[in-house]
Amino acid sequence: MQELMSYLPEFANALLVTLGVSLAAAVIGLTLGFALNAARIAIPGFALIYSLYVWLIRGTPFLAQLAVIYFGLPVIGLRLEAVEASILSLALYSGAYFAELFRSAWASVPHGQVEAARVHGISGVRVFWHVQAPQAMAFALPLLGNQVILTIKESAVTSIITVPELTMTAGRIVSTTFSYVMPYALLVLSYWLLTSSVAAIARALGQRMTRHLRG
Amino acid sequence: MSTLPLLELRDVGKSYGANRVLRGFNLSVQPGEIVSLIGPSGSGKTTALRCMNFLERYDEGEVWIDGQLLGYSGTGRREADRDSEAKVDEVRNPLSMVFQQFNLWPHMSVRENVMAPLVLGKKMPKAQARTLADQALSRVGLSAKADAYPARLSGGQQQRVGIARALAVKPRLMLLDEPTSALDPELVEEVLQVIRSLADDGMTMVMVTHEMSFAAQISDRVVFMEAGQIVESGAPGPLFNAPKTERLQQFLKPWFNRSLTPRAQVTS
Amino acid sequence: MMNDFSSRMALYWPALIQGALTTLWLCAIGMLLGFVLGVLIHLLANGRSRAGVAFTRVYVSFFRGTPMLAQLLLLFYLPSALGLDIPPMVAAAVALALNTAAYQSQILSSGFAAIAKGQMEAASVFALGKYNTLVHIQLPQVLRLTSPALISELIDVIKVSAVVSVISITDLMRVSQQLVSQTYRPLEVYLVAGLFYLLLTSVLSVLGGLLERRWQERS
Repeated sequence: MQELMSYLPEFANALLVTLGVSLAAAVIGLTLGFALNAARIAIPGFALIYSLYVWLIRGTPFLAQLAVIYFGLPVIGLRLEAVEASILSLALYSGAYFAELFRSAWASVPHGQVEAARVHGISGVRVFWHVQAPQAMAFALPLLGNQVILTIKESAVTSIITVPELTMTAGRIVSTTFSYVMPYALLVLSYWLLTSSVAAIARALGQRMTRHLRG
Repeated sequence: MSTLPLLELRDVGKSYGANRVLRGFNLSVQPGEIVSLIGPSGSGKTTALRCMNFLERYDEGEVWIDGQLLGYSGTGRREADRDSEAKVDEVRNPLSMVFQQFNLWPHMSVRENVMAPLVLGKKMPKAQARTLADQALSRVGLSAKADAYPARLSGGQQQRVGIARALAVKPRLMLLDEPTSALDPELVEEVLQVIRSLADDGMTMVMVTHEMSFAAQISDRVVFMEAGQIVESGAPGPLFNAPKTERLQQFLKPWFNRSLTPRAQVTS
Repeated sequence: MMNDFSSRMALYWPALIQGALTTLWLCAIGMLLGFVLGVLIHLLANGRSRAGVAFTRVYVSFFRGTPMLAQLLLLFYLPSALGLDIPPMVAAAVALALNTAAYQSQILSSGFAAIAKGQMEAASVFALGKYNTLVHIQLPQVLRLTSPALISELIDVIKVSAVVSVISITDLMRVSQQLVSQTYRPLEVYLVAGLFYLLLTSVLSVLGGLLERRWQERS
């Protein structure tokens, strides 16, 4: 028990690092994904770049992408710290998934509404923000929440390049204290708690946002 | 005839929560008899039929098949008192069933559908099962379709496959749950003909149906139900031509002016 | 420059192929084991035992709510604490299987639900028995219905399998790490490894699309 107390502060720190890295990456990824989708809609020809990007990111493991950015980029002169590289690659990774979520959310708005707006002279930009966005975002919210959870889970991989997040810290404690059960049990419990909380928050947010739809 | 009844229901009842859909149902079926259950929707006739092979778990009374109690070993009638699957299968073995929605297995060919109860249910060797299946298929006139898949068949053909499947296991009693209700009108006759020929061969049957003239023609007895209870029952001639109760008279109104010739009067 | 690259590629190629085969082999075993487990979880979740239902909820929530890497480490190092020595391949296969089973159980459940109840009634009336009904009536149809989704899941398993490299299994990822330490060309090697993964997932993706279209046509 005393042992548990001794590494609890370290674990708490690691939890913050995990949260920090994941949320930073998620925020950047959300912005990136949103921008990618908007560009796909607004710029002719961009759809090809969009598809290529999504295909590359979604067709390869995150670990491989992280390796390219952390180990590979220095070759062309871009050397990043472990945490920086992690946030960058996690952001690029989640960005592709967020982009796809936004794409399907925008597609879920019946095209008839878009046509009706255009026929009445409402510009494309206005249609995007005032007709499509509100409905699409309501549709997307639970899925976006789920993707945030996936990002938190994926952040465990950054332990491999020694970011002092949860998985790396658990491994460190195991190798210094030689006790396996408690640290790894704590590890999985921490993630489970994190992801369950995010899921609950996303659910509650979703309920609140769609309150107007339920009588 | 005072032989032991093949199927006997004594005071059988069934409730869904507070809703009593069947009560005080009594029926005794001798080998070779054909009994039709008729009545409006919600009268409990389908529930009664499904209690006969424990597709519905009856919670009052007793169902006896060939002298064995179905579904329970003692007097308790709760969910926890029910017999094991194996025991239920054993007791209802002499029965087979034809379904309103045919319930064929779509990923199997016609022949495989008919063979499955024999191979998988009765653990029969495939070669033997195949012979029986082919016999049953020829009995219903579908030998040519043995290798086809159900999706390619018309409704009438699918139901005939269902009948072949129910026949191949050599049942002592067949339950038919509105066998023609899901069919387009022009396909009904082909199925009725098959059922009639089975009746002529002496198959014991209990049938729920809306085909009044057919019921009149082939039944030995007709049972009219309403609101979960038997209202009137008897031989088709007197029952259809001179209904005793007000409710049966009301029910038969649409068929009133048609001639409903009972089986006994058809001499061929 | 080009010549140099092609001679290096000649070095990379056999090692990467070997690594890719290990990855595929491992993922196939994990997927198959996970399928059997997934069916069992579905049966438990829809069974009569309340403890069973509760267990499946916890199981699915746990394996979907925690990272694959953490599950792998737990499964690999925990037995050591109990004195058992588990070969890395076994730990990896089991970890992948337990993980994918949680996802497959959800996929398969929707397949099971799509089978008309009447077919089950007929199976019951003709005394096929629970086992025969599952194997001969339900599973053939469930597989047909869910194969596109299962292919998607296999793609995910392949991507997630990259983490087994941390317990020294010479999968595609580990092989590329070894090549990097031999050649000091991380950008090149990792990009080529990425392309290998891309090829694997893309072929499967196309296969999944074909299966999906075939299913659409059938129904």
